[in-house]
Amino acid sequence: MPCYNEAAVIKNTVDELLEYGYKVVIIDDASTDNSGNQVEGLPVHYIRHRINLGQGAALQTGIDVALKKEADYFVTFDADGQHDVKDIPGMLQSLEHKNHDIILGSRFITGATTNISFIRKLFLKTACLFNYLFTGILLTDAHNGLRVFNRHAAKLIRLKENRMAHATEFLLEIKRNRLSFSEYPVHIRYTVYSRKKGQSLLNSIRIFFELVLNKIFD
Amino acid sequence: MTIIQVALTAGVIFLGLYMYLRLRSTLFDVLLILLFIGAGVFLILFPDYANTIAHWAGVGRGADLMFYLGFLFLFFLILKLYARLRRIEQNFTELVRKKSIEEAEDTAKKNY
Repeated sequence: MPCYNEAAVIKNTVDELLEYGYKVVIIDDASTDNSGNQVEGLPVHYIRHRINLGQGAALQTGIDVALKKEADYFVTFDADGQHDVKDIPGMLQSLEHKNHDIILGSRFITGATTNISFIRKLFLKTACLFNYLFTGILLTDAHNGLRVFNRHAAKLIRLKENRMAHATEFLLEIKRNRLSFSEYPVHIRYTVYSRKKGQSLLNSIRIFFELVLNKIFD
Repeated sequence: MTIIQVALTAGVIFLGLYMYLRLRSTLFDVLLILLFIGAGVFLILFPDYANTIAHWAGVGRGADLMFYLGFLFLFFLILKLYARLRRIEQNFTELVRKKSIEEAEDTAKKNY
């Protein structure tokens, strides 16, 4: 779970995960609020980047730590509380059942619920199209932070995009390593809080350029 | 000699000296610098030759040809610099990551 300045909500999010018996690795990406204090004393693995590197870098650190802890299954989960813990068992089941390497959460396939605004939906659908152009993988959702994958995938995936372009890089890594994948309907709760911290138009332009440069240089 | 010729010649020679002082490594480097400085000064003092080359290449003026080539060269330079920047950032990330994980392991040891 990557975390940057989520002091207001992180404890709730972590508590829910612990309630379900999951082991939690928190990567505090040099938060400047007291996110770290909020989870102090909880039975979690807490790693703090001394310098802010970005969400992609935090996810990779989390994967590295979980690999070290001999985890068999890996879940990426946003700290802001927009994901629903109850989706994880289903995703794990789906992973086992279909014998896939990675299951990607989607808020736009049958069975998913979300209180998304029209503008944001348009946004994400456009992002899907761009993802398709960049990776050749057409999904129903983009920038969904909830993913489940096995140890095989965790070992192969290597995120080099430190900032927000990692969501697309995940797809590039799936393609590069020939991982099998499918989507799974998830429940996204948009709160005033998560909306405030979400993606803006400016950000998506920035992501676009990061991706172009990624294509040129890697 | 016009004012612009004096200014450009001085600039080119200054750049050449600066590069020589900074690099000053092999004979090859020195020769290369000398070649560029020589060509630069020559074209500044005798712009007609630049025009001739430009005409040969299908460009109207020597100055325009220089502009096109210069633009390409600068763009290439920016790409190279960006590639290096990315490499540095990736190395830096690995370093911070490694340190973070080590620190977390140390705290875990202390607590148990």
